Amino acid sequence: MMVELKDMRTAYGQTLIDIGEENPNVVVLGADTTDSLKTIGFGKRFPNRFFNVGIAEANLVSIAAGLANEGKVAFASTYAIFLPGRCVDQIRNAIAYPSRGDKKGLDVKMVVSHGGLTVGADGGSHQQIEDIAIMRAIPNVKVLIPADSIAVSKLTWIISQTYGPIYMRMARPKTPLVHQESQDFKIGKGIIVCDGSDCTIAACGITVKMAIDAAESLKQEGTSCRVIDLFSVKPIDSILLEKAARETGCIVTCEEHNIMGGLGSAVAEVVSESYPVPIKRIGVQDKFGESARDNEIPLLLKKFNISSVNIVEKVKEARSVAR
Amino acid sequence: MGLNYYQIKKNVRKARKLVIKGTTAAGSGHPGGSFSMAEIIGCILYKFLKYDPKNPLWEDRDRLVLSKGHASPGLFSNLAVAGYFDESEVEDLRKLGSRLQGHPDLRCPGVEFCGGSLGIGLSFSIGGALAAKIDGKKHHIFTIIGDGESNEGQVWEAAMTASKYKLDNLTVILDRNFIQQDSYTERIMPLDEELIGDDISEMWKDAGRWKVGDKWRSFGWNVTEIDGHRIEQIISAIDSTLQTKGTPSMIVARTIKGKAVEHMEDNPKWHGVAPKPEIAPLIDLELDCQFMIAPSIIAGDMTNLETEVRKAVHGRADYIHLDVMDGVFVPNTTFDHTKIKELRPITEIPFDAHLMINEPVKHVQNYVDAGSDIITVHAEVCNESSFGEIRDILKSNKVGLGLALNPQTDLPSWSYKFIPELDQLIVMSVVPGKSGQKYIETTHEKTRKLAKTLSDKKFEGFIEADGGVDLSNAGACFSDGARVFVGGSAIIGQPDVRNTISNFRKKILHARRKLLINKAYELGGTDLVNKWIDLHIIGEKKNELIQIAKEASYV
Repeated sequence: MMVELKDMRTAYGQTLIDIGEENPNVVVLGADTTDSLKTIGFGKRFPNRFFNVGIAEANLVSIAAGLANEGKVAFASTYAIFLPGRCVDQIRNAIAYPSRGDKKGLDVKMVVSHGGLTVGADGGSHQQIEDIAIMRAIPNVKVLIPADSIAVSKLTWIISQTYGPIYMRMARPKTPLVHQESQDFKIGKGIIVCDGSDCTIAACGITVKMAIDAAESLKQEGTSCRVIDLFSVKPIDSILLEKAARETGCIVTCEEHNIMGGLGSAVAEVVSESYPVPIKRIGVQDKFGESARDNEIPLLLKKFNISSVNIVEKVKEARSVAR
Repeated sequence: MGLNYYQIKKNVRKARKLVIKGTTAAGSGHPGGSFSMAEIIGCILYKFLKYDPKNPLWEDRDRLVLSKGHASPGLFSNLAVAGYFDESEVEDLRKLGSRLQGHPDLRCPGVEFCGGSLGIGLSFSIGGALAAKIDGKKHHIFTIIGDGESNEGQVWEAAMTASKYKLDNLTVILDRNFIQQDSYTERIMPLDEELIGDDISEMWKDAGRWKVGDKWRSFGWNVTEIDGHRIEQIISAIDSTLQTKGTPSMIVARTIKGKAVEHMEDNPKWHGVAPKPEIAPLIDLELDCQFMIAPSIIAGDMTNLETEVRKAVHGRADYIHLDVMDGVFVPNTTFDHTKIKELRPITEIPFDAHLMINEPVKHVQNYVDAGSDIITVHAEVCNESSFGEIRDILKSNKVGLGLALNPQTDLPSWSYKFIPELDQLIVMSVVPGKSGQKYIETTHEKTRKLAKTLSDKKFEGFIEADGGVDLSNAGACFSDGARVFVGGSAIIGQPDVRNTISNFRKKILHARRKLLINKAYELGGTDLVNKWIDLHIIGEKKNELIQIAKEASYV
């Protein structure tokens, strides 16, 4: 069966224009990647609210902070490797730190593309596999990893209406749709994509589809898996996770990120304190990625043991020691 | 906002004292960089910035962004003086639970930017400037950056961006104090040129070696180079940047780290160290001991006063003293306001107009209109009512207010109520009327008494010694309490005015050092004298201090 693939960046760019029509306070900034990020459309529609600051990412996020400080909703976008990867100081001190009363941090939306290994051909130097860990560790910053273009559109709207610093990571390749247009998204709330009782698979971004595939394959073997799209890595849905631990007895996480500090760590942090059950984590095993042409990206992920097959294996391991 | 030269000067002095109070209480902090930018931030805040301490987030306020956030004591102190919070709060600096964090934080009213991680503030300011442009707002963004900070590449990313977007609502002041944490900037990462050899104290004086302005020019900025401790130069530079259209403006302000406290000046050690509690009272006194040289141009060629003004400017005078004589109040006639108006375009150095004329209240507006920065009238020809009227005219025109006493005149009792508002009291030490007379010795005693009276009556201005002041008695006049020194034949009458002014400063500095050593002995005996001396590690200061202490048998 052919699945429809959709581009996250196109969804992002179009949504920005829609938001721009409604909210004159929204401004968009880019760093010489506005064509790639599809923010250029906003720039054409609203030239006086669009700023391309060139290849100067520290400048990008700091100017966004200055705009947000004046009441603008500032979207700063470029590739993941150049934003958290390059600007942690500016993100921390110019965006996340400044707080006025209840308003924690400034109203900057750091929306990036090219997160994780699926950057592919550009190689390990450009595959950001540390961003979740970096951004999660900064107080006041929210971290969102949408799974498909529907999630991107909906979350772009939501973050434009949610005060504070938010990091949202998109993937470079077109991705299969895993959500319906009718799906509701709430920051801090995970989505149960399919229910089950033997094991929980928590995923985010492109790995949600892998989790669904794994669940289907396990179903054939008689194992019922609950798949959760934990697109909101921070704040994380601890209630949903505790419930999953209680009801399914074990958890497998899967992410396109280093195994340290990412989604798996976040899940383990919550579950180990609220209702400890065995957790098996899938992710990059603390090493860098490498080049792969577009048609080889599934092979690249496989090489790094990030696939539905790996999820199936880990579910079995987890179940063997389940509580 | 809108204060005059003298009010700014007094506020800057007050803020410097608060920096010492705060950092001493905290036991850490950055006095050096707070003092190098003291006049810069003072001029922005008290002259130009539109703000409302009661409504710190007023939409149309101008923005003051301190990018070199480690100078937060300098920012906090000035915000306190500006009325954002009580001055006593500076003692909470860096304390647990305080609004005055180690680096600027939005929880402190008046703070616009959490500076301190260097290199960010200019980009942040660009964001603010762009937002103002989008919204069609007229407010201005003033940003202070450091020279050490300019090592950060992001500063130059921002330099390009501000130029691209033609941000003429942005004025950046570079606090060029030549010192960063490890050492002198030109040793660590030259902005101008690499520093060869040990000639460090002199290098900042050589304007020919300042090249950093050209860097900014090449980035498309409107650049002005100034002396960053000269209030009149800062005002004039900012006045001009506010008129500039189509480009952002950079003011390269050459400053001295630790300015106004001798042992901190030009000394990298004071980048980030707080004074010891026992030293703080001495520094506080030192900050009260700033002095100014005011050459009187009538001692020169009366047919070419333009040249005499230029000599004073070249000599780096602090004020130009203008003796206006009407031939009635005094036997001589010199010039009137029309001449002052003619001289005004030559320099922005403050014009210190001393009106030796009858019925000054009738004429004072003319002298305001001619461009005087301070106008001093004689007590002998005023009474409570006319002086009150003069005060009102000067205050409403933002001109400094001065009162002068002839040698035979004591402070009249009607003047007491005006004392807290006086910017200057001229104590004449010759009978006014002509240049070249000898100093009347009894004036020393008179000045000392006056200094005491004034201080009891909340005087915040400066005593100006006028008449027969020369190199032989300037030091003694300082010890009496004088802080402004008018030099007629002793300065303008000399072949080398610049060198003479420099010698005046040395003499007065010697007297000031003596005063401070005496104070150290009074407060803490030989032990404190030695501690004080040991702080002075840069230049010739230390040897002179040892000499003074020996002469006084303190060590």
